[in-house]
Amino acid sequence: MKLAIGSDTKGFTLKEHLKRHLSNLGHEIVDETTGKDLDFFDAATQVVKVVKEKRAERGIVIDEYGVGPFMVANKYKYIVCANAFDEHSAQMTIRHNNANMIAIGSGIVGPRLAEKICEAFLNTDYDGGRHQIRVDMLNKMC
Amino acid sequence: MKISIGCDHIVTEIKDYIASYLEKKGHEVIDHGTYDKQRTHYPIFGKRAGEKVASGEADLGVVLCGTGVGVTVSANKVKGVRAALVGDMEAARYAKENLNANVIAVGGRIVGIGLIENIIDVFLETEYKPSKEKEEIIKKIDALVTNEEQMNNDHYFDEFLEKWDRGEYPKQ
Repeated sequence: MKLAIGSDTKGFTLKEHLKRHLSNLGHEIVDETTGKDLDFFDAATQVVKVVKEKRAERGIVIDEYGVGPFMVANKYKYIVCANAFDEHSAQMTIRHNNANMIAIGSGIVGPRLAEKICEAFLNTDYDGGRHQIRVDMLNKMC
Repeated sequence: MKISIGCDHIVTEIKDYIASYLEKKGHEVIDHGTYDKQRTHYPIFGKRAGEKVASGEADLGVVLCGTGVGVTVSANKVKGVRAALVGDMEAARYAKENLNANVIAVGGRIVGIGLIENIIDVFLETEYKPSKEKEEIIKKIDALVTNEEQMNNDHYFDEFLEKWDRGEYPKQ
């Protein structure tokens, strides 16, 4: 899958780890936050931009807590971003919310769990069905 | 404090427990539902609970659904709401102290009741510590939503609910 990934300075090390891991799994990665001294607001905004312009199917943002990128990304119309700290949520947010982004906190989630969260997020499909009314509601907001 | 709460039908009993937990601590709870286990749609309750915080009718909000994601995203899409979805106390503390988060959220199927209590406690007890940098970033977050039409509009989702009632969404 083609995916957008980005981080602020605190999420940089985990982001680089995940980029290696995910590209080894065959994913194509777009990182437009690299080489820049960004805060979480700018990092999240940059990933939102790539996803909204459909230059990637899904996006991942990493900062220290995941909390800030969640607030920023979800202020954008058509963006549904989960703060993911376990594999179950990463999978369910695709199945039920049709999420197109996740945030990960590098201070909260260790590198091995972060790999598994990303795999769960990327290997799952949206269930559709009755969940569509809720997704329609979310997408009408902002 | 006045606390605005909301949930979907997956976690109604946990929301009811949280409401009584908060009341026992002396807080006034505004419970926006849902009130039973009948299938409903989380954006209705996230939006409503968030709006009461944004408008100042409540001081803070607590929302939850299965993973917490759906209800929190809908609360956060309200202008003036800064919602934090967390699974531990440290992220809850950070959210309040640094981003002045005004809604806290958990997944009722993700986090156990003891930790939920502690997350809410730390969220209510932590004070926002302002600085120039924090104020600037909060201002930028708040400026992202400009939609005034959705605010306090209880009919905003009617088109979808009517479609649902007509059986035009699959029930599975």
